[in-house]
Amino acid sequence: MKGVWACIASVLRTKVAEQMAYRSHFFLSVILLIAGDLLVPMITLLVYRSGASFPGWSMHEALLIQGVFGLAKGIAFPLFFGMVSSTLSLVREGTFDLLLLKPRPALFMTMLNGLDPEDFGRLLSGGVLFGYALSGLPTPTFNGWIHFAALFAASLAVLCAFSLFLSGLLFRWVGSSRVYDIFDSITSFGMYPGTIYAKSFQQLLTYVIPVGIIAFVPASALLGRTGWGTLGAAAAAALFIAAGIAYWHRMLRGYTSAGG
Amino acid sequence: MIEVSNLSKTYMTHERGHSLREITANLIRRPMKEVQAVKEISFSVGQGEMVAFLGPNGAGKSTTLKMLTGVLHPTSGEVKALGLTPWKQRSEYVKRIGAVFGQKSQLLWDIPPVDAFYMNKAIYGVPDRDYIRTLDRLTTLLEVGDVMRKPTRQLSLGERMKCEFIMAMLHGPELVFLDEPTIGLDVIAKENVRDFIRDMNRQGVTFILTTHDLDDVEMLAERVIVINQGEIVFDDGLNVLRGRLGEKKAVRVTTDIPLPDMPMPGVAMIKRIHESEAELEIDLEITPLKGFIRYFNETYGIRDMSIEPLPIEVVMKELYIGSAKLP
Repeated sequence: MKGVWACIASVLRTKVAEQMAYRSHFFLSVILLIAGDLLVPMITLLVYRSGASFPGWSMHEALLIQGVFGLAKGIAFPLFFGMVSSTLSLVREGTFDLLLLKPRPALFMTMLNGLDPEDFGRLLSGGVLFGYALSGLPTPTFNGWIHFAALFAASLAVLCAFSLFLSGLLFRWVGSSRVYDIFDSITSFGMYPGTIYAKSFQQLLTYVIPVGIIAFVPASALLGRTGWGTLGAAAAAALFIAAGIAYWHRMLRGYTSAGG
Repeated sequence: MIEVSNLSKTYMTHERGHSLREITANLIRRPMKEVQAVKEISFSVGQGEMVAFLGPNGAGKSTTLKMLTGVLHPTSGEVKALGLTPWKQRSEYVKRIGAVFGQKSQLLWDIPPVDAFYMNKAIYGVPDRDYIRTLDRLTTLLEVGDVMRKPTRQLSLGERMKCEFIMAMLHGPELVFLDEPTIGLDVIAKENVRDFIRDMNRQGVTFILTTHDLDDVEMLAERVIVINQGEIVFDDGLNVLRGRLGEKKAVRVTTDIPLPDMPMPGVAMIKRIHESEAELEIDLEITPLKGFIRYFNETYGIRDMSIEPLPIEVVMKELYIGSAKLP
């Protein structure tokens, strides 16, 4: 385990050094990421300011969901999602071989290679939004925080699973940069209160493609709106990540490298 | 150290069209084609050997090397390297091997090589003391003390290649795969890299060398394996490979009188440089050297001449086009 942390620390240090080689690009990217992530909350704000609303949800409650979404992306993107872009380029160029020549599990090496400190900027936008949303809500209970922490871990597991599915797909769909669009369009459903959708669609978003677990379910825990269904959602997240890991390894077996 | 038996690799590839009609049809249906890249090859490599693994483009050598390094799973066959099956015990295996790819860098473009070395140290779990000792030894041997602290993008190709070698050797591998290790290097850089490889080999490291630079082969390898169309067509010592050339010599000659295309029996024109200057190949079994010199001097008037053994390119060409007689 010590070796794993040493690897992560060493690679992160190297990646930061790499980013610092082009500081203006780094800062510009962080600013653009923050601006991009604040776009949907701005629209939510405008919707509520104009008198409309998501039925049964106050503005701060709706923003809390989007804040949690931002926080989850702020952790998942720098840690896991870089593997999607690194798989995209490494498989296309045939340099994925170099990762397989390292004495660590292939999945771990792919994640290490994809570590992207630039994406930690998303934590800032998510954190600001989360804090702003909480400021307009009653203070959550201790139990609410405990539930939230557990469900936030499930949220990260779901995002990690998404990155595994997308990365795995790229072993077959070599060079298909459109996988990001698949992610964006599917997860955009998770940025709004689940109750605005039809019941059957809610079930789909919680138990089958669990995008509801990314933000809606953890935010509900802070708002004291969780029930027994939360356990099912946590189980769905566990299954989803297990399926993601299995899928990724299965797709890796089909890796054919590039011509030498 | 390496035992390969009946190793095969078959994969499916799309048959892509070239015309607009075919490309449009491919949007709906893409016919698949089976490619047998490696066909039941068997060979073994002993500890401390330096083996050149050669073949024309698309012969199957890279696929074989990828299976030997554990990167690809074979379709059938067995490999035991360092007592392990590379693709089944990958993590354990790759800890004991190294690889240098002339066309795929393991360094990081924007940061100094020393940072990449440090990252590799963590990944391989090399203890601090061993890391410092090995790095000191390698940097001294390759003379890159100052170089490794500059960003990789500022290094010359030769300096980068030296750092690639350090990256591959830091964890003390017993077996090293080299793929075009001197590609693009100048004469001096090539010599430095070759000296380093020889030095490491003397210390007991086994090398498998893949290259199209036959000077690398002549200067480094003791044994040559040639693969063509997925099959091994030659596996023996470099001397045996030279022996396949028969009793032939390469002659570069300048004469007083212009040379005809067929100057005499047993002498073939390889390359005409000028009307009275050419590179010739003499089959000594037909025309002894003395007879050649006498005849040429009397008939054309020799002004200058150099005689050398035939380069191994000649026999490699024969092996590659499949016309060479197997021993």
